[in-house]
Amino acid sequence: MPAQIKKILIANRGEIAVRIIRACRDLGIDAVAVYSDCDKTAYHVRLADEAYHIGPSPSTQSYLVHDRIIDAAKRSHADAIHPGYGFLAENTQFAQRCADEGLIFIGPTAKTISLLGDKLQARAAALEAGLPVVPGVTLDGDDLNAALAKAGRVGFPVLIKAAAGGGGKGMRVVEKPDQFEESLQRASSEAKSAFGDGRVYIEKYLVRPRHIEMQILCDRYGNGIHLNERECSIQRRHQKLIEESPSPVMTPELRKEMGRAAVDIVKRTGYVGAGTVEFMVSQDLSYYFLEVNTRLQVEHPVTEMITGVDLVKEQIAIAEGEPLHYRQEDIKLDGHAIECRIYAEDPEQGFTPSTGTLRHYRLPAGPGVRVDSGVVIYSEIPVLYDPLLAKLIVWGKDRHEAISRTKRALQEYRVSGIKTTIGFHLAVMHNARFIAGDLSTAFLAEEFPDNKYAILDDATRRCAAIAAALEKFTHERKILPARRDAGVAVKSGWSSYHRRANLRRFGGSR
Amino acid sequence: MPRYLVSVEGEEYDIELEYRADGYRARVNGAPVRVTSHQLGETRSVLLVDDRCFEVDVHSNGVDDTRTVFMLGIEIQARVEGYHLAKLRSTAGMTAEQSVQKKFAAPMPGLILELKVAPGDKVAKGDPLVVIEAMKMENVIKAPGDAVIKAVKVSKGDSVEKGDQMLEFE
Repeated sequence: MPAQIKKILIANRGEIAVRIIRACRDLGIDAVAVYSDCDKTAYHVRLADEAYHIGPSPSTQSYLVHDRIIDAAKRSHADAIHPGYGFLAENTQFAQRCADEGLIFIGPTAKTISLLGDKLQARAAALEAGLPVVPGVTLDGDDLNAALAKAGRVGFPVLIKAAAGGGGKGMRVVEKPDQFEESLQRASSEAKSAFGDGRVYIEKYLVRPRHIEMQILCDRYGNGIHLNERECSIQRRHQKLIEESPSPVMTPELRKEMGRAAVDIVKRTGYVGAGTVEFMVSQDLSYYFLEVNTRLQVEHPVTEMITGVDLVKEQIAIAEGEPLHYRQEDIKLDGHAIECRIYAEDPEQGFTPSTGTLRHYRLPAGPGVRVDSGVVIYSEIPVLYDPLLAKLIVWGKDRHEAISRTKRALQEYRVSGIKTTIGFHLAVMHNARFIAGDLSTAFLAEEFPDNKYAILDDATRRCAAIAAALEKFTHERKILPARRDAGVAVKSGWSSYHRRANLRRFGGSR
Repeated sequence: MPRYLVSVEGEEYDIELEYRADGYRARVNGAPVRVTSHQLGETRSVLLVDDRCFEVDVHSNGVDDTRTVFMLGIEIQARVEGYHLAKLRSTAGMTAEQSVQKKFAAPMPGLILELKVAPGDKVAKGDPLVVIEAMKMENVIKAPGDAVIKAVKVSKGDSVEKGDQMLEFE
């Protein structure tokens, strides 16, 4: 029984909220934003049709509070809630609550999320479907010694992962047994604070694997398709930084096989909506099932660029009860797309968060360039949330053109006030191994072991030196006359304004 | 003519600047360079360096000699000193960083989750000092070198800004 959605509440913030508002606009659907104290003038609020305050700045008191979101949905008379990614996107109780309140949750059912969201259950489902999985063990309340023994049987290096996890949180690589205890505690405590569930499991850590995932779409009539792969091997702390499609190593045969496996596992769970099946791919191209993300991914635009399918619009259509608009054979693979995540982080300090005000912010444009930004000039970047500012997505007719265009677009950025990953991305785009498509999740550690991403040429460095000297020169000439007047107690604001204005105009020559 | 010693990523530039109606007459490491600057706003300008065109945005923290230059999508740190002062300093055998005290500052803004040290503790390079939660990640802040903790300036549960003093070393 298809139901026309007229108004969607977006239970998120930042670039993904903006992305979903845009899809709503394209479909003629009203978009409702929610915001915490520090987001009252955020970009997603400015773009929405309606906006509802949902509490104090910490997300545990606003974006994560089910009651507040449901209340805003009721007050706005929204038909549906789009959770975006993160926050409540994979929260079983919230999906169930929406259903109970008569609201359409744009995503799979609570039951599916619960099954696939639990990495342990998902692993079991994959084994049942005959998919290869990475060797690993679960920790069922084992004490340290028992856990260590299990890790030893899997064989170091091992990866400790949160059972309820995602996004690299609660995940630790352990090279040697003597690092096991601290990593286990850290992973478990991170998992507990991020997901309210401290359970972890241990997996064999594959050496130099690639991270390749398949985008899937399923309707409620049992139709399921895949929309090609995305390679997301360039990561830091197990969080993706650069994604591309197609993968430089993919063959049509392997794509077909992995695509079929991905559709198969989600169909077994009665999956409805958009989702992603993640795989680890070893250097010899054997693939292992990793997990299913039951939501829209950050990197979904990469798939949109090469297939022409608007994934958010498809999510909404599926939620309305429409059958899929595409058959598998309709899905094309045109050209090559690369996404660079622009984070408010300092790559040279090991990607530590950078906060502040965007004092200048100008975005790249031109052929093949798409920017999904959650911020605008003068936006404040708070410490409380995910530090993703924007995504740069570039399309080219082939990988070579996509890389050239990405470099061009990155150089068009003008961002001041906070540190970002733009320079880092430029360094990667110039890296010979990246250009050759020789990727692995160990790429950064291998290619940039000292976290140095500067790619300054002599002319740029010299210009920066001149610009810095000029700033000091101009500054000194501005403050010297003021010092001469220091004895004057009372001054008209206008006269000092005019003096400053004249100094600016005439360069303050004395 | 005002003269500066500018250091950018380990490279030093001796820059002399003279203001002229049509731009600046400059010398960079002794060689003449034509510099024209068109102001775009408080901090931004179009800079023509011997006809090569750059858009730059220069920020000063107002405290010391460091300048942050944003250009071509990247951020470049520069240190600008009066030339003669810089020469004096280097003759005295001091580096610009030497005046740094034994204060250990937060490398990022966040919430103090755990303090691993107390006054009097001896730590070796790489030992965990503090655990800071920032942007939902737990970050273990490690000792930059061998040291003895003199004072702990923060408590568990405190919010810190980047640059806030957390510890003092002997």
